[in-house]
Amino acid sequence: MNYKKIKNGAYNIHLINTDKFKTISVRINFKRKTNKEEITKRNLLTRVLLESNEFYKTSRLIEIETEKLYGLMLRSSSTISGNYSVMSFESSFLNEEYTEKGLLEKSLEFILSFILNPEIENKEFNEKNFNLCSNSLKQEIQSLKENPDKYGMHKMLESMNPSAPYAINADGYIEDLEKITPKELYEYYKEIIKSDLIDIFIIGNINETQLKTIINEKLKINTLKRPSESHYVTHKKINKKSKIEKESGQLEQSKLYLGCKLDNLTPFEQKYVMNMYSFILGGSPNSKLFMNLREKNSLCYTVTSTYQPVFNLLIIKAGIDANNFEKSIKLIKQEMKNMQLGKFEDQDIEAGIITYKNTFKEVEDSAFSILNAYTSCEYLNYDTLDKRTKEIEKVTKEDIIKVSKKIHIDTIFLLEGAMYEEN
Amino acid sequence: MKKTNIEKLKLEVYEETLENGLSIYIIPKNNCNNIYATFSTKYGSNNDEFIPLNEKKMKSFPLGIAHFLEHKMFEMEDGTDPFEIYSNNGADANANTSNYKTTYLFSGPEFFKENINYLLDYVQKPYFTDKNVEKEKGIIIQEIKMYQDDPYSVLYEKGLYNSFIKHPIKIPVIGDIKNVSQITKEDLYTCYNTFYNPGNMFVVVTGNVDPQEVIEIIKQNQNNKEFEKFKPIKQKQYDEPDKVEKEIDTIKMDINIPKITLNYKINYNNLNLDLREIQSYLSIITDINIGSTSILNEKLKNDNVITSNLDYTFIYTDKHILLTILGETEKIELLSSKIEEKMNNLEITEEEFERKKLNTISSYIFMSDNIFSMNEKVMNNIIKYNEVKTDDIEYIKNLSFKKATDIIKKLDLTNKCKVIIEPK
Repeated sequence: MNYKKIKNGAYNIHLINTDKFKTISVRINFKRKTNKEEITKRNLLTRVLLESNEFYKTSRLIEIETEKLYGLMLRSSSTISGNYSVMSFESSFLNEEYTEKGLLEKSLEFILSFILNPEIENKEFNEKNFNLCSNSLKQEIQSLKENPDKYGMHKMLESMNPSAPYAINADGYIEDLEKITPKELYEYYKEIIKSDLIDIFIIGNINETQLKTIINEKLKINTLKRPSESHYVTHKKINKKSKIEKESGQLEQSKLYLGCKLDNLTPFEQKYVMNMYSFILGGSPNSKLFMNLREKNSLCYTVTSTYQPVFNLLIIKAGIDANNFEKSIKLIKQEMKNMQLGKFEDQDIEAGIITYKNTFKEVEDSAFSILNAYTSCEYLNYDTLDKRTKEIEKVTKEDIIKVSKKIHIDTIFLLEGAMYEEN
Repeated sequence: MKKTNIEKLKLEVYEETLENGLSIYIIPKNNCNNIYATFSTKYGSNNDEFIPLNEKKMKSFPLGIAHFLEHKMFEMEDGTDPFEIYSNNGADANANTSNYKTTYLFSGPEFFKENINYLLDYVQKPYFTDKNVEKEKGIIIQEIKMYQDDPYSVLYEKGLYNSFIKHPIKIPVIGDIKNVSQITKEDLYTCYNTFYNPGNMFVVVTGNVDPQEVIEIIKQNQNNKEFEKFKPIKQKQYDEPDKVEKEIDTIKMDINIPKITLNYKINYNNLNLDLREIQSYLSIITDINIGSTSILNEKLKNDNVITSNLDYTFIYTDKHILLTILGETEKIELLSSKIEEKMNNLEITEEEFERKKLNTISSYIFMSDNIFSMNEKVMNNIIKYNEVKTDDIEYIKNLSFKKATDIIKKLDLTNKCKVIIEPK
């Protein structure tokens, strides 16, 4: 596997050459500082751009073309990566060896046409397609409540700090959506082409010269862009005491969340120690939380902890019966206390190290996982997979105890469902 | 050891059946790091009534018992925990139960020998006590409730329940609270002893392995154990009628957008088609008519009936295939009538048919890069056809347009049911 970063002024091309896959996978990212007012627009834009373009006027015609291109996959998304909002266009298509000569150029041309040749009428996006996308986004935003996991998580994050980037609903807001017009969105589109930071990641068995020729010829963007600042969110305020909030939902099962703020982590802690902490506490079916809440006390089916590095957060989540609320909290706090007291074994650390090392190996088996790894190197200053494999081994018990004291429970949130007799 | 090339994908499958009846299938892929191994028994929620080992009479068991048994296999007499063992080796371990089978699995790039030996050992060493059976009930009841809050699970399960009359495929794999609460240690041992004989089980390994080595390890492991000689298990045959249990059903849930499934129950024995044929043709025909490239889908979107594409899935028994079409809309009546109208007037052109074939072939090539998908494919083949199909690409190439139009003419779509979920 061979990595090369080609700087092109207006955009960077990250080329990873490997003959491991029968496919070529591409990700084109547009990013700028996260701004709550723009989130809905960005989301809508990722949809409108894939709904039609100058050459293919309906999504049906687009789908037919992807089938002719041997099942080419194309998708887009808008996500919040800490202080940055990222619009991604991703595609995967078969190598010419398994299809026909000329498919690389045809496929890249097809993908880029969505970004460069939108369907514009009278200086605005085609109204019919705009409305289709607006309606589907509206449904997506409204369906938040149908997904108790996602809804509960969002409410908890909002209650931690309503103005932080993590509290923004990544899908967007109905109030904002209703105000956006096809004309305004087209203006916004022109703005992002001009000023968003653009990175193209591409992996597969590709000839570099051919790739550069195709991209330089098709993607003629000349504006120079400033280098970026950090993605990582830092907390302005760390509360000494945690607050408890409850909301009732018509659910069979209650969802419990503990949102924790991480205070002043060193880069090593951020990249390695916190991962190990979260793994031991609630990252596997052998974790402290899983063993105690589920296996010993039958309180839940799922209980996990998740570390979100860009937001400097640790989130613990469990599905429980509402009348086990107090007991579950007590047990979770107890397990977090035990981590501070060093009540875990060297074996737990070893298991974590082996797991992470294996995960890094597994990353190399999937084209998009490899793209993710290089995206993290570029955006989050992550180390390369080789370096990560070496660094994770250096994490010690003392490191984990030290980091456990920088974790502060900020908000306990219960999305309350029905009460049942204890089983 | 039998070796067969998988056409056009630069892969091979190795097969071996051991003396005790255990079948092993291996697809080596040495340009990747990871290894995925699965160990399955041909026992799922469908196998609900049978003559237990060394008994004479047909007996039925509480619903959800195959899944319950899966949970309980992780209980070890010496107190060790399989998840801990795998976690210590940096491997992922899990298990799952479907209508047709129960599978125990792990994946991880290191410690393969230890991992596969342990997989065989813990699955082949049951340890059920009254106490550990009781404890599991609380966990499974939480799992049942989690599914009850998911409108898509509710919709799907209700569709199955209303489509079938006698066949146990109508019952959710997980069972229900009442049945799960009745399960006893004795029931679990009876089911285990009947279905977990090596003659009813198979191992599939995909990824970075040497097939000869894999077979040697498994052989050695099995040579140290004793099993009863496997006798075919007499199971209840269900004379499932073609008609459905209930044609329309409406459920109220705490949702925003109403959802509907249309379930078509098709007797493919009557069409003189085997399962592989009906699935291949029916997928293409359905995709052309209601999929993302269909005129219907486009029109429904343009008319603001739906905002996301219609979705569809298939599930099968030895006699029927059930096509489930899912849509979300504020205009349930309109959507439902448009789909029904289309299903009553299925059409295909040769251009569309050939394009869908190309697309299906491409999907096999995409899949072949992924050791998890390849393992799933082998397992599904064993369950459906009792052999690994290595000619998928050639098979799709040979599908004929004429036969497809013929199937459309003969297809009986009169047995159907609708399930609707409305906001409270």
